[in-house]
Amino acid sequence: MEITDLPAHQLTKLIRSREISAEEVLDASLARIAAIDGRAGMLTGGNLEPEEIQKIHAFITPTPQRARAQAQEVDRKLASGEDPGPLAGIPFTVKDIFCVHGTPSTAGSRILANFVAPYTATPAARMEAAGGVMLGKVNLDEFTYGSSNESSAFQPSPRNPWDTGRVPGGSSGGSAAAVAAGESALSLGTDTAGSIRQPAAFCGVVGLKPTYGRVSRYGLIAFGSSLDCPGPLARTVTDAALALKVIAGPDRHDATAANVLVSDYATQLEEGVRGMRIGLSPDYFRVTYFDGESGQLHQEPISPEIESAVLSVAGYLAELGADIVEGVPMPHTRYGIPVYFVISRVEASSNLHRYDGVKYGYRTPDPVQELSEMYRKTRDQGFGLQPKLRILMGMYVSAAQYSEQYYARALRVRTLIRQDFEQAFDPLGPHRLAALLTPTTPTTAFPMGAVYGDSVLMQYADQLTVPANHAGVPGLSIPAGFDTQGLPIGAQLLGPDFSEATLLRIGRTYEIATESHDWRKLRPAILQ
Amino acid sequence: MPPEKIPQEITPELFNHLVNLAALDLSPEESEYIRRELNNQLKAIHDLEAIPLDPETPITSHGVPYSSEITPAIRPDEWLPYSHPEEIISQAPVIEDGYIVVPDIPHTELE
Amino acid sequence: MPKYEAIIGLETHIQLNTITKIFCACKADSWEDPPNTNICPVCTGLPGVLPVLNKAVVQKAVLLAAAMHAEVQPLSYFDRKNYFYPDLPKGYQISQYDMPLARRGYLDLPMSAGYIRRINIQKLHIEEDAGKTKNMDGLRLIDFNRCGVPLIEMVTAPDLRSSDEAAQYIIRLRQLLRWLDVSEANMEKGHLRIDANVSIRHSGTDHFNPKTEIKNVNSIVAVRDAIQTEIERQIREVDAGNRIEAWTLEWDEDSAKLNLMRTKETEADYRYFREPDLLPIQIDAAWQDAILAELPELPLDRRARFIDQYGLPEYDADILTGERSLSDYFESAAAAYGGDPKRLSNWLMNDVLRMINELDVPAGDLRLTPAHLAEILIMVDAGTLNTSTGKSLLDTVQKTGRAPGEIVQVEGLSQVSDEDAIRSICSQVVSENPQQVETYRSGKTGLIGWFIGQAMKKSGGKADPQLVRKILEELLS
Repeated sequence: MEITDLPAHQLTKLIRSREISAEEVLDASLARIAAIDGRAGMLTGGNLEPEEIQKIHAFITPTPQRARAQAQEVDRKLASGEDPGPLAGIPFTVKDIFCVHGTPSTAGSRILANFVAPYTATPAARMEAAGGVMLGKVNLDEFTYGSSNESSAFQPSPRNPWDTGRVPGGSSGGSAAAVAAGESALSLGTDTAGSIRQPAAFCGVVGLKPTYGRVSRYGLIAFGSSLDCPGPLARTVTDAALALKVIAGPDRHDATAANVLVSDYATQLEEGVRGMRIGLSPDYFRVTYFDGESGQLHQEPISPEIESAVLSVAGYLAELGADIVEGVPMPHTRYGIPVYFVISRVEASSNLHRYDGVKYGYRTPDPVQELSEMYRKTRDQGFGLQPKLRILMGMYVSAAQYSEQYYARALRVRTLIRQDFEQAFDPLGPHRLAALLTPTTPTTAFPMGAVYGDSVLMQYADQLTVPANHAGVPGLSIPAGFDTQGLPIGAQLLGPDFSEATLLRIGRTYEIATESHDWRKLRPAILQ
Repeated sequence: MPPEKIPQEITPELFNHLVNLAALDLSPEESEYIRRELNNQLKAIHDLEAIPLDPETPITSHGVPYSSEITPAIRPDEWLPYSHPEEIISQAPVIEDGYIVVPDIPHTELE
Repeated sequence: MPKYEAIIGLETHIQLNTITKIFCACKADSWEDPPNTNICPVCTGLPGVLPVLNKAVVQKAVLLAAAMHAEVQPLSYFDRKNYFYPDLPKGYQISQYDMPLARRGYLDLPMSAGYIRRINIQKLHIEEDAGKTKNMDGLRLIDFNRCGVPLIEMVTAPDLRSSDEAAQYIIRLRQLLRWLDVSEANMEKGHLRIDANVSIRHSGTDHFNPKTEIKNVNSIVAVRDAIQTEIERQIREVDAGNRIEAWTLEWDEDSAKLNLMRTKETEADYRYFREPDLLPIQIDAAWQDAILAELPELPLDRRARFIDQYGLPEYDADILTGERSLSDYFESAAAAYGGDPKRLSNWLMNDVLRMINELDVPAGDLRLTPAHLAEILIMVDAGTLNTSTGKSLLDTVQKTGRAPGEIVQVEGLSQVSDEDAIRSICSQVVSENPQQVETYRSGKTGLIGWFIGQAMKKSGGKADPQLVRKILEELLS
């Protein structure tokens, strides 16, 4: 296996034992990027040749100088007997929704294209302080608004390494693609409705949405303040555990970062699942399709391929001693998207108020008569379609005369969604689950351009992941095989608050059980 | 009310009001597309009205309940000067003598 | 009974004197600082930042709420108030909407006409301040130094009935804020900002008529004058048969005129919703008790007690309890003195207060301590010093910081009461001034004052003046 395809935890071991230097690992990563990434996303778009287009395009801003300085520092520390930290020499990328000091921190939007952050987001700072080597800022849906990465103002947008005619998922599309294609061993993403888990599933990698409040949001350019969760993407469960340990924990800059002990997630990984009650819910094996024109809601069973992949995971876990509990009702699952349409939009429209051209970012170059004209032109020119959609919906459902009917009601349905999980996980309740096992997504990766434009259909791509965001519970997506088109399928584990250690353990157990399976030997098309 | 019977909820007039409220400016094509998508989204949102909601059901602002154990301690009143305020101001499009400069707001003063 | 009754409500924004801002660790006071230097990513609303509540803001708010007899809520929430303005970097203000930190409450105003007006407040809530803008050459200049400074907002019920009462409310409120040490309450620095709502109605009716809002009246005088002007304007309008429109007005102090700012169009839709970046404020009994252990005796209570306990007239009690440090000073001095409190009060109100005003320091910072003052008074009472020596000793003690007893001893300031010594001095004065003696004896007995002055001078001011007079009258007769 090439260096760039090794799991992070193995890489750092080799670096520590001086079998390979951090700088060599960096050079290998840069070579991989040069071979497969193609041009970074740009505001001026992509008039590129077809072969050039069929590359990954994960990056917006590569940071090779920063990375080299960091790699050299890791090597220097090792040479002098100092400890560079638990992520020593591991190349990682950062979704460009995070502020990183001295880098353009664009949120994938024209309105912040020229914003150079004067400070670093806490999770990114912790990864750098732990010896990680930051390769650059990777692409995303504009302001994380989307499930395909297509909405980015920086084009071309990233492509799925398994089939570059398909989306990598979103909004952390650049993160998932970079990790899947061996450009970086880890990536720092965010998950508001599934934006880590869904692209992880589409790209065949591991994606962890921690419990809300487990990881500080300071420096995360906000979308849904009560929903956003920073988290890691990686190729193995162990790597995700390693990253979580580094980024998790309270932060004096975030009043919602929970004061909960950070476990050493990697040490408990291989304790197995004997006696664990793991649930299956019929509500997660049905998918809702909404016809915007007719307003009709249809529900269909999920595709047989996805269903059998997830049931196969259950089978392996059962063989290793888990108690698989079927028929667990999660009746409010189908309301996850409608509730999300309301709550996330109210928070988003408010969070986007600050982009007004006054103190940073884009200001319209057009001559204006007065201030409100400056605001309007700046925001019209600076924001793409997706922010405009969210701002206007947010305005509507929080307007004084509609707020009770929409926003207040959605917040109360959110309570019901939360209660579904509380009942499932209640140790004195009817199901007493340690975790719930579900598919991550209703489909595998769809083709570029196939869904974009239908905002309802696009949002419903998150229907199996969004309930966890409403409830705040953690969710882990792990690769669980491929469909007949050779596209990755993801299985999702959901657990009680702060149960990341359990989810990682279950994921690792399945990983070990299927270690030698043929499908694990498959490599993304871009690498062949 | 069955979804197909709900009239277009956001009328063009209401839409323009929202656009004003949002300090935006949209082209007619963009307006039409967005207004249509919003109305489609609203049809999905109306799915929520069918749910019987106990009047006692409280709102959930954060999914995770913040007990006193996990709530972070409140910040003490200690001054920590920020090391490089110039870097913040240097991001502003127009600065003069340390002030950020914007066009004026017309006064609606009458006598 | 006058034809009309004025109905006034006041909305006050109070800048707290915490060390840091409400949601970040920048300084709260940046009055002297160059623009945009007292800032950080949080108070400038950079992408990705989050607010973190300052403990001292809650503590001061609870103190003020208790002093206003308001009910502190064990659970209160922050909300976002969304609107666009260049001095509001996030495009929303973090405030409290429907679940404020305290509800109800009142402030009593003793009016000089002899009645007490109780002014009810509806609620007390905390919020963040915006930055400052100023116009220049058709452009707006913005300074974020003040962004994020903690504010308390209190809105009174429409309980005030005159511009005098409104002014009194502000005076009493300002006194209370300084008393509790929650705000410097310097109106010139914008620490106490006032908007007034004014309407009138026919006396004897009880419904409310449309009101106008007067914004940004920022001195006691302006409060009184602006409100009075508006009341008179409304009376003129109603007398002329016109309706009162719900205008927003601005008071121009220089020209003493009201200007129309804007007519009340549709209210801005602020789309309030719970601030997701902050957790609810929880004030349990233990914390509240700890904060209220610091609650001092309130000014009006102390004023009443001074009248009662020390037998002081209202006038004295008012002045001595005008400021907390001064009232503490009085009590320490009274305890050390043990004599007539009114006598002590006179000395304090005249000489010591003058010194305090000249030096512009709180009473507690004087080098002339309450114990020193008591010592001087005791010496004057005992005849060790005469009054004028005693008074000049006040300045000497303040200048040097040395104890009065020590100065008297070292400089030999003791009053001369020895009759022989005085007789000798008086004799000298008489023999040295034959002209004046003749004038006196010829009937101008008013000259005795001049003779006393001469004798006092000769004695270095130390002679007992009563004795000097007696002896001189004897010698001159």
